[in-house]
Amino acid sequence: MKKYDVIVIGAGNGGLAAAATCAKAGLSTLLLERHNIPGGSASSFVRGRFEFEPSLHELSGIGTPEEKGSVEEQFDRMGVKVNWCKHNSTFRLIVPAKEGDEDSFINENGVRVSVDARMPVGFEAFSRKLDEIVPGSYESAMNAFKLSEDMYTAFGYMEEGENPLGMLKVLKYFPDFMRLTSHTLQEGLDALGMPKKAQDIFNTYWCYMGVPASRFDFLYYLTMQSSYIKFGTGIPQNRSHEMSLAIDKAIRDNGGDIWYNSEVTSVIMKNGKPAGVVVNGSKEVYGERFICNASPRFVWSDLFNKEDVPEFQARMTNARKTAVALTTVYLGMKKTKEELGITDYSVFIAPDRDSDKQFEACQDFFSGYCIINCLNEIIPDCTPPGTSQLFLTSMTFGDAMKDVKPEDYKKFKTKVAKDMIETCEKALNISITPYIEEIEIALPPTFSRYLNTPMGTPYGYMLEMWDSLIPRTIQYEKDQPFDNFLFCGASQERGDGYGCAYHTGEKAAKLTIKAFKEGK
Amino acid sequence: MASPIKSLKAKKFLPMLGGRQARFGEGSPDIPSGSDSARAIATALHPVRQYLKVASVTDRGDGCKSYKLVPDTEKGTEKLAYFGAGKYLTVFEHIGGMPLTRAYSISSSPRNSLEGFYELTIKKVDGGLMSNYILSEWKEGTAVEVSAPSGNFEYQPLRDASTVICLAGGSGITPFVSMANAVNDGDEDFNLVLLYGSRNPGSILFRDELEALEKQCSKIKIVHVLSDTPDDEMPAGSEKGFITAELIKKYAPANEDYSVFICGPQQMYEFLEKETAKLGIERKFIRREMFGELHNPGSQPDYPSDVPENVSITVTIQDETKTVTGKSCDSVMQILEKNGIAVPARCRSGECGFCHSHLLSGDVYIPPQLDYRRLADKQFGCIHPCCSFPLSDLVLNVPAAR
Repeated sequence: MKKYDVIVIGAGNGGLAAAATCAKAGLSTLLLERHNIPGGSASSFVRGRFEFEPSLHELSGIGTPEEKGSVEEQFDRMGVKVNWCKHNSTFRLIVPAKEGDEDSFINENGVRVSVDARMPVGFEAFSRKLDEIVPGSYESAMNAFKLSEDMYTAFGYMEEGENPLGMLKVLKYFPDFMRLTSHTLQEGLDALGMPKKAQDIFNTYWCYMGVPASRFDFLYYLTMQSSYIKFGTGIPQNRSHEMSLAIDKAIRDNGGDIWYNSEVTSVIMKNGKPAGVVVNGSKEVYGERFICNASPRFVWSDLFNKEDVPEFQARMTNARKTAVALTTVYLGMKKTKEELGITDYSVFIAPDRDSDKQFEACQDFFSGYCIINCLNEIIPDCTPPGTSQLFLTSMTFGDAMKDVKPEDYKKFKTKVAKDMIETCEKALNISITPYIEEIEIALPPTFSRYLNTPMGTPYGYMLEMWDSLIPRTIQYEKDQPFDNFLFCGASQERGDGYGCAYHTGEKAAKLTIKAFKEGK
Repeated sequence: MASPIKSLKAKKFLPMLGGRQARFGEGSPDIPSGSDSARAIATALHPVRQYLKVASVTDRGDGCKSYKLVPDTEKGTEKLAYFGAGKYLTVFEHIGGMPLTRAYSISSSPRNSLEGFYELTIKKVDGGLMSNYILSEWKEGTAVEVSAPSGNFEYQPLRDASTVICLAGGSGITPFVSMANAVNDGDEDFNLVLLYGSRNPGSILFRDELEALEKQCSKIKIVHVLSDTPDDEMPAGSEKGFITAELIKKYAPANEDYSVFICGPQQMYEFLEKETAKLGIERKFIRREMFGELHNPGSQPDYPSDVPENVSITVTIQDETKTVTGKSCDSVMQILEKNGIAVPARCRSGECGFCHSHLLSGDVYIPPQLDYRRLADKQFGCIHPCCSFPLSDLVLNVPAAR
């Protein structure tokens, strides 16, 4: 039986990028995936005459043809071509008014709100708009964007150079780097003198990383957020399944093998190191090096013998907190977005303007927090004429399903979906329910089934201050279990996001390629 | 002017690194737990396989039998996966060295699965490989392997009307028996009006059960529609002829929306497609169960001419590559199965996508009404072998059968 240079476990975004990078470098590569299609979250599904986007809200890192973003550059390196549809706004935040709100007003939808902010692309335009809503916030916003640019460059240095050399360069040129990474988003914006209400609008994207302003590091938020605001974002023409199949093709074009419906059920150890894997409980495959896109918790619980789990890995896994779990409702609508009265791609509806209070609310399924997206805003013909597709997203934290029995799950799902739909109907003063032609509801068990992560989280571990981006990046090698077995994906340094996962896959692949070059 | 950011202390950073390691050190050294509440539900509802055995067989007459299936604990299935009424099980069999699968709607209620059994009801189909095999071979004690409950033919209160006119033909009654029981049990909440087409009273399946359900539950109404029955043999309250738009209108609520659910043989789908179009109700209110396996692609209007009768298929599954031959009138899946190659299969109707494969070279014919592929699949040459018919020699990659 053939022995592979590299076996990649899991064809999520991280695993796909890892396999594509290894195959491109000429390593004999085998990518193993338990599901029958690639991508994990990056996929699609068909119901009736609709094909739904399962997870991608917007992809930053595409950039412009003149100034390509990080994802587009990485796709070029992997030899992957995707047809992007550009999205040239950011978000609209609506916070319905509560009783006693002093500065509430009736918005264009005829709804009494305490916040309604529709934010444009571009640092200058975003800051001006913020200032219009909260006078006196322009300068602090521009300062924040300026810092984000510096930090982006600094972070690039750190990624380029091998630690501690990269780190020294960062310290020398960007003394603010340490300040920002060791303070929370809230502390940072306070220091910049941004008015609280402006902060609340500025912090809208917190849910993309799943950590609210008082617990998330300032540096990561700034760089993440500005990557969306600087050039706008994009999504693939044919749902994220297009991206995953494009990478699948690049892997095969470069001689890599991909086996679908091929679940790694255990890891074979030799001399204290992984030497192979067992597929679907019976077939043994051997490899020199391994890149693992599967969730570390389930890797240790399911794939390794108890005695082979490094103690540090057990402690590390147990010490970390599982990130946010998602609920998504996919709706195929028998009316167009115009007929429905939908005017924005992405509307964040929040029960409170403060991100920490939003986070608190999301401890419960019925939180009043819901993001509503209409894909037709970016891809007008993504559904047949006269129709449109919506997806609604909410979050939950913790062991949220513990009181739900399998036999009650369908009813529970429907109840959660109904609540989310009604939240959107009320906040936008529109009618959705009568026009639903197709509906699919994904709760944490759905994500668990397809992603095989704790609580079905697509986000990995919570990026809290103590376990945030920069410490994770600096301690990356320390975090890896064996010198020939590296993790990639959302569980790694950057947390969730397609671009982040692609990056971790490429990083693990580069270290693997380097090890081969050095004859290790 | 000094940047306002300088008010933040820079020295907080270094302790973060040690702090992180210290936090890890405080973590439990126990092997991390692989269970959580989301995973528990996911694995309970979607096992890869369920190992069952036949507990009893009921002869329903007219070449039809029901099989009560219970968990085969010795093979590792402790508990049946719960399901929503209307779902199907894919049955896995080996017939004469040929791996074969078929999807059958569950005829028992969701609540029965909690009590420990599923019921599948199989009717004899002329030339039906699987149905004839099951009818002759499955006996009390026979070991049976099935998939998790699958499919989307279910009532959804946020989408469907509060009254559903269910149109059944022949053994297409099975999902509706499950739904009617679910309504009676209070597990589903809608008004179920069943128009059930049969030839004559003797060929009605579940007649007594349906009658009992109608008596017990005010939300259930049963109407038999008999095509081949003398007037004096027509049961009370039944209708003569076929299920037509007129008949549907007769039993539909007068001034409110209603849904129409259809399950039956392929000819019935074709007939009812025309009839339901006359109802003037919206598309969202008409749903039908999967089409089933298509035979005879040559009878499709857009099937090309000059297709070679015999083709060869080179198929790679994991690290094994084989070249086999078959007839172009068979689907890619059938050709592989006839050559003893197991293919991942669930619905066999093009819909579920479980057999999703990469076509590396060659051409196939895909009947447009069964083409449920994703857009990017078309872009990158992916096919569903269950409804793809070879037009030339093919090379393809197929996922492992599970």
